[in-house]
Amino acid sequence: MKTMRRALDWSRSLLHRLLGETAPQPGRRSFARVLAAVSGSLLGLLVLPRWSRAEDEEEEPSGPREGDFKRRWGMVIDLDTCTACGACAVACKTENNVPFTGRDPLREATAIQWMTLLPGELQDEAFGVESFTFPLPCLHCEDPPCTKVCPVGATYQTEEGITAQIFDRCIGCRYCQVACPYSRRYFNWGEPQWPESYRNFLNPDVSTRPKGVVEKCTFCHQRTRDVREEARVAGEVLEDEAFRSLPACAEACPANSIVFGDLLDEKSEVRRLSRSSRAVRLLESLGTEPKVWYLGRDRREDT
Amino acid sequence: MSTWDAAPLGSPPVESETLPRPVGPLGPISWAAVFVYAALIAWGLYGHLQQEHHGLVMTNMRNPGMGGASWGLGIMMYIYLVGLGFASVTTVALIHFGRVRELEPLARMAELLTICCLAVAAIFVVLDLGRPFVGLWNLPAYAKPASPFFGTFTLVVAGELFASMVYFYLDGRADAAKAAKVGPKPFRWFYRLWAAGWKDRRIERRRHHRAGFLLALVILPLIVLAYSTLGFVFGIQGGRPGWFSALQAPGFVVLAFASGVGALIVIAAMMRASYAMHDLISLKAFRLLGNFLCIATGVQLYFMAVEDLTFTYASTRAESALAQEIMFGDFAPLFWFTVAAFVATFGITLWQFVTKRVHVGWLVMAGLLVNAGALLRRYLIVVPSQTHGTLLHYEGHGMYVPSVWELGAAFGLCAVGALGFLLFMHVFPIVPLSHPLEGDEKSARAETTGRWWFRRAVATAVLFAGMIVALVGLLLSARVGTVAYDDPLLPFSPVIFIAGLMICFLAAVSYELFPPSRPQSEADAA
Repeated sequence: MKTMRRALDWSRSLLHRLLGETAPQPGRRSFARVLAAVSGSLLGLLVLPRWSRAEDEEEEPSGPREGDFKRRWGMVIDLDTCTACGACAVACKTENNVPFTGRDPLREATAIQWMTLLPGELQDEAFGVESFTFPLPCLHCEDPPCTKVCPVGATYQTEEGITAQIFDRCIGCRYCQVACPYSRRYFNWGEPQWPESYRNFLNPDVSTRPKGVVEKCTFCHQRTRDVREEARVAGEVLEDEAFRSLPACAEACPANSIVFGDLLDEKSEVRRLSRSSRAVRLLESLGTEPKVWYLGRDRREDT
Repeated sequence: MSTWDAAPLGSPPVESETLPRPVGPLGPISWAAVFVYAALIAWGLYGHLQQEHHGLVMTNMRNPGMGGASWGLGIMMYIYLVGLGFASVTTVALIHFGRVRELEPLARMAELLTICCLAVAAIFVVLDLGRPFVGLWNLPAYAKPASPFFGTFTLVVAGELFASMVYFYLDGRADAAKAAKVGPKPFRWFYRLWAAGWKDRRIERRRHHRAGFLLALVILPLIVLAYSTLGFVFGIQGGRPGWFSALQAPGFVVLAFASGVGALIVIAAMMRASYAMHDLISLKAFRLLGNFLCIATGVQLYFMAVEDLTFTYASTRAESALAQEIMFGDFAPLFWFTVAAFVATFGITLWQFVTKRVHVGWLVMAGLLVNAGALLRRYLIVVPSQTHGTLLHYEGHGMYVPSVWELGAAFGLCAVGALGFLLFMHVFPIVPLSHPLEGDEKSARAETTGRWWFRRAVATAVLFAGMIVALVGLLLSARVGTVAYDDPLLPFSPVIFIAGLMICFLAAVSYELFPPSRPQSEADAA
């Protein structure tokens, strides 16, 4: 008890010295004061935040806000209005810091294209074979083959249905790349390269990927994350219009052929279009259930 | 006579005062081989440093969908080398289960071949990673049983390699004890360490016979299971034409048996000719291996015919187009050479079987042909499905040919394995001097001297402890009931699984090496 009292006196005198006051003589009364001050402070520390939080909560709106419910992202690409201008592919490269491969013959077939344009053919009994070009991002399958085979869990499906990649964990075995039936994954065969003048324009919201890892489209996850976070802070719920042109490809499309949105939202445009009779998905027989739909040509005018 | 002097060529080894050749100093041919291997290793090291510095862009692997193959020589060689590991399994199984005495002289070289091949294969697959050092950390930390690579990483590299090393170690103790007395002096400490107190008593031989039998009983299904996971790497891929097939796993195993036995025939013939081991390695051993090769190649041909015909008639356009491409398109020369190699191997070995005549030269030819066929078959499985197997209309088909750096790394790694084999056989007898099983299998009755029950109890406890640890590791890694990509419940759970497997195999070591309570009586001595 004596030692404890000495320690308390010493700490009290130290406190007073730090505050520039003369240290009072130690005594029972002063000990009781210190004890009261310490317990009061502790009580304050415990109670005050709760109190203030309660006040804050009272100020917040009582209704739902962004982040309170699940979303499932999907995309619809209308091939009838798509002009294959390639703006989506360029915008994607810029937004996501996709490296340039240039014309180095050594790097032939090492190009990284999160969004690419692919030729396709459609055979129709009435109109014959029709050739077209279609934009092809990662299809963010509902049952993705790539996530099952990754030996270290570097690729996974987020709660919002996006097939994501943890670049830091990827060991570069390329099994996911081989397993993707749509060949929508790209390996960094060498160090990523950009023109020197371009480096200042790299998007700070998206990390660059080192050599030896696999990368892919993320449905511009950084954009959806930012707008949703802002809405959540503001206590709002975002309407479908806020998402429709959110990814860089959809924003850049001059014909508004790319529509993005929440498949769980019954009022969303993407949900409506995905259920259209014109909507098809690539290689549906594989059972991967892609979350990107293509709208075939509207034949009403032709007939 | 100095300790490095070797016995005369062809002399009976057991009665000799020294260890038989090739134990001893390296001869001129061996030195030439060492220099060639060293040059290849230097080339491989430089090639790999190029890859490490610039990335895998130095290889000729490229993105699938752009005409490239994302997997190439590294994966091919990995599959091929692990397949060669079947050499020891075949030999060990035939010795223990079939009581084929003629193969006993080949057991050690088969085991050494397996260990060298598996060790090199493990390095192959690590160097094929985009980030090898990250892989060495993340694979033990996060490996998931849902991925077939989990089996590759745990069962093949850790389980099979470790099991082979345990068998190799226990099987060599008797010879190590002999070598500790008459072997080269600089290595006697090594022989003594290996012998671990082997006194060549009957009871020890009995124990070894029992432990070897049980190990063989475990290794055989383990290696088949492990190699099947390599087949699953391709067989479960529905998104690549030519891969999704239930025959991938058994086809891999059968071809592995064929290539492993083929390689063993070639090495045994080289040893027999180089070191005049005509008395030790009998023609009957070659005849048996030839017959086994005949069966394995026949089944392989049957599997090939079934698989390729099915793909030709496949309902999807991509599958049948790929089959056409392999048989009559860009890959036709390789495909038909592979078929010819297998048919020739089958023909040679069948002729030998029917006529009951053995010609070692022809068998060596068959062994080389089946290995060439096995390598090309791996290429035809791995590459065309990537370069020509895109389901969407990607433009242009490429052709994967390994770059000079890839070839360098591959040759360098193979040279590492060959150098290891060469150096080892100059240090330790490559053909067993003693036959611990001889005359003891009939008398392998329950031992009743010393603390026999305690020894068995300890070995059983070690075995069960290993099984429990392995099961816990597997359950922690797999997280049953969660999605496939969830992290292990505990970081480094895969290491727990591997440790469990290793502890299981250490049960055999504890059984043989457990110290007796009192010196064995002289009556027990052989």
